[in-house]
Amino acid sequence: MQAKLKLFASLSDFLPSGAQANQIDIDIGDGESVAAIIERFHLPDRLVHLVLVDGVFIKPEDRAQRDLKDGEVLAIWPPVAGG
Amino acid sequence: MDDRQLLRYSRHILLKDIDIEGQERILSGHVLVIGAGGLGSPVATYLAGAGVGQLTICDGDDVDMTNLQRQTLHREARIGMNKAESSRIEVATLNPDCHVNAVPARVGPEELPELVRQADVVVEASDNFSTRHAVNRVCFALGKPLVSGAAIRFAGQISVYDPRQESSPCYACLFPEDSPVYEDRCASLGVFAPLTGTIGSMQAAEVLHLLVRGQSALTGRLLLYDALAAEWQEMDLPRRPDCPVCSERNSGMTGI
Repeated sequence: MQAKLKLFASLSDFLPSGAQANQIDIDIGDGESVAAIIERFHLPDRLVHLVLVDGVFIKPEDRAQRDLKDGEVLAIWPPVAGG
Repeated sequence: MDDRQLLRYSRHILLKDIDIEGQERILSGHVLVIGAGGLGSPVATYLAGAGVGQLTICDGDDVDMTNLQRQTLHREARIGMNKAESSRIEVATLNPDCHVNAVPARVGPEELPELVRQADVVVEASDNFSTRHAVNRVCFALGKPLVSGAAIRFAGQISVYDPRQESSPCYACLFPEDSPVYEDRCASLGVFAPLTGTIGSMQAAEVLHLLVRGQSALTGRLLLYDALAAEWQEMDLPRRPDCPVCSERNSGMTGI
């Protein structure tokens, strides 16, 4: 199974090699949760602000229960304040 | 409106959602703009062009060569000048109907109450969380709508926080004040020039809606813009029932 991981702004520094612009296709395990992906890519807590799967916001308390499915897009935003 | 103004604003007056009445509201409007950088530039340019009567523009920084790639209010000849002052000079050439009060300082909790009290709408276009939280607190204390934008690298966000709407969250519902402060500066991370134009232009649009109709369709929603993929996403922003800034307002409400 594959999903797409998109990391924005300062989080894009955490994309592995092979990423195109701010996204990469990743292999996911059966039942692998959003929280597990965040851990797998070593994304720091302070930078994981908004998490969306296929454009739907996943509350922080739901990240461990929400499994990623084949073809879904996981987008993660840090807090942004630039002006 | 005199004949010159009827001509100048004719393309707005032709829009039935603005008309003469709406244009007169724009002309009598007073907007406070916090920050005269990448976002503040399109905000002030469109608001001045559209005839907003008074703009108060605050910025404590001076114009720098690295700003000019995106901060369209400023000019090479004004490098070293305070940005609020540079904005005042530029807006004067755009539209004599728009009076600019330049505040050449980084404003905080001391200065903000008086500035916010005088404004109809507040625009958050600064570059740091401490200013954003201070502006949010004062807007919610004084009941003034806040049009908030942010942009870094290729990523932009915009929302409207309106304390007059019972269901509206405040900025601290999305970014709690006690979160660890992480400053993502354009100076170190970079920013795509037209991204600030996109987000700032949308902020100007919501300001005009607030002046004309008294409300913004963006209240309670956050738009996320990916300028690499040319994609927008949006999410609903509920109130946080335990938000220390806004949970006390509208007594009798349960929060969300």
